[in-house]
Amino acid sequence: MRKQALSGILGVLAAFAIGAFVLALQGFNPVATYGALLQYSLFSGSGFTATVTRAVPLVLTGLSASIAFASGPVNLGQPGQLVMGALGATLVGLFVHLPSAFLVPLCILASLLGGALWSGLAALLKRAFAMDEFIVTLMLNFIADYFTLWVITYPLFDPSAMSPMTRPISTAAWLPDLGGVNTTVLFMVLAAVVCWLVMSRGRSGYEWRMTGQNSLFARIGGCKVDRNYVRVMLVTGALAGLAGGLMIMGGPHRFVKGLGANYAWDGIMIAVVASNGISGTFFYGLLFSALQQGAIGMELVTAVPSEFIDVLQAVIVLVVVAGRVSLSIVFDRLATRRKLKESAG
Amino acid sequence: MNVLFGLVSAMLVGATPILLAAIGGTFTFYAGIFNIAMEGMMLVGAFCAVLGSFFLHSWVLGILCAIGGALIMAGIFVVFAVRLHTDEFLTGIALNLFAVGLTTFLLRDIFHVKGAFTDAGIRAIPAVRLPLIDGIRVLGRLLSGYNLIIYVAVLVTALSAFIIFRTRFGLRLRGAGYNAACLNSSGVQASTIRVWSLIVCAVCCGLAGAYLSLGSVRLFSENMSAGRGWISLAAVILVSGNPWGIGVISLLFGFFDGLTVFLQGGRIPTQFTAMIPYIATLVSLYLYSVRKRRRA
Repeated sequence: MRKQALSGILGVLAAFAIGAFVLALQGFNPVATYGALLQYSLFSGSGFTATVTRAVPLVLTGLSASIAFASGPVNLGQPGQLVMGALGATLVGLFVHLPSAFLVPLCILASLLGGALWSGLAALLKRAFAMDEFIVTLMLNFIADYFTLWVITYPLFDPSAMSPMTRPISTAAWLPDLGGVNTTVLFMVLAAVVCWLVMSRGRSGYEWRMTGQNSLFARIGGCKVDRNYVRVMLVTGALAGLAGGLMIMGGPHRFVKGLGANYAWDGIMIAVVASNGISGTFFYGLLFSALQQGAIGMELVTAVPSEFIDVLQAVIVLVVVAGRVSLSIVFDRLATRRKLKESAG
Repeated sequence: MNVLFGLVSAMLVGATPILLAAIGGTFTFYAGIFNIAMEGMMLVGAFCAVLGSFFLHSWVLGILCAIGGALIMAGIFVVFAVRLHTDEFLTGIALNLFAVGLTTFLLRDIFHVKGAFTDAGIRAIPAVRLPLIDGIRVLGRLLSGYNLIIYVAVLVTALSAFIIFRTRFGLRLRGAGYNAACLNSSGVQASTIRVWSLIVCAVCCGLAGAYLSLGSVRLFSENMSAGRGWISLAAVILVSGNPWGIGVISLLFGFFDGLTVFLQGGRIPTQFTAMIPYIATLVSLYLYSVRKRRRA
């Protein structure tokens, strides 16, 4: 765990150094750029709260990818599951009229179901026809994208809008801001805690992780591997769906075109850098969110295009992941040398 | 008759980028690399093609730039996956996202636009009239007058089938995937062969990218590869790497892609017609699994 944190910190610093080099090459001032980045994401009140709120979809899709990758299924369908979850929440928010106390949980449930439906479809195709979920979920992403675009362009189109979007959902389903931080953050923290409990304290989490590491061992040990596969797919789909639902309820309060943006793919990257750990996913989610939030301020102050952050994120992923492998080799060598000395002495 | 010609042409246009990327992917497939970076290589290729064509005023240099860009991506893949032993799958995902980020960043940084860049100064890759066949009435119209890259793609397919199954390099390539330890012990480094397979893959993906941005259109738009790299990966897996099989599958996808163009403006909303290639991938995966089960 400490080795993980160390290699992570070293990797992020190295990635920042590479980023600084690229910036200097382009004629920008790296110190001023990174200063603005931090200023607008962490060291100002409004920036910090915005960073925390923005982290919601990143952390949730990251958790979804982490749990899936750690348990075996290569679920790359978070982008599709996110928009389907958002669609679920939107449908309930538009057509169900109830007081907040009932409508908010119902919307959350609908978003969970929307995501689980989409990942469940992939799980079904895998179980019934042995179709690889890796490609199936990828293709379902595109299909979900076009499907939701159709829904907001024709059946649920808001006639008063210029671009495809639905009408706003019932105000009873809106999640309010508390001191600048949106209440969706509470759901994110809750989901992260539950995920952590399930994965590192619960029995099912143990079974899932065993299956991910060695499914044959898990099966011989008495795990119901096939049943667990379906469960993992449903849970991870629901998590991604929750991300979409919360984006609707906390953010624009309606399904707008391009809602999912790159959040889910960033979530997958976050899971990859965190090597599928729950707490790691949480922290990297916050880091990526800070980068993305700071990018807006950075562009204002230093004229560095905000897209620079997309490059920096991918560099972080590559450097941290590669660094982890190389560092573990170094650590192993150091440990061997120490033990050799001990045995010699 | 005109509809038929239109459909054939639309089919070839749709099939070419997938075919080229899949042929590239099949080299890494035989070399035993789980390479999912075709999408990113293609995207960087498409961007560099526009870059080269716009600034150097030549489509030939545009194609060379596309190949160069894809080669840089392959180089990163080699450094991380082959040299540093990072997981190939993770490297591929990171590279694909890197490609999206890099191209949008550079689009903003170099051309100062968001979304898409198009300019009259971009030189497109020309169409070619085949010298002998062009004169024959139906056959000429069916086979001649397409974009240069389409003919290159056909050549590449035939050439790759020859290289993989008939040459010493092909034998070593398949050896690297089949049993790397055995290849190493015979004095040929499997990792060297893998690096070469990635280089070939990058060249093919660069061509595919150049075709995307300089073929039928002359523009680069954000994320313009639109999942074609993933579809080409599916094609490689479906036929277990056989180049001729890839040709057939690509034509099939091209047909559905062409159908998308044809159904536009009809009664079906464009959002549904746009789904067709992805649904076709799912259907072909289904057919593959059924066939596999029957054999077992």
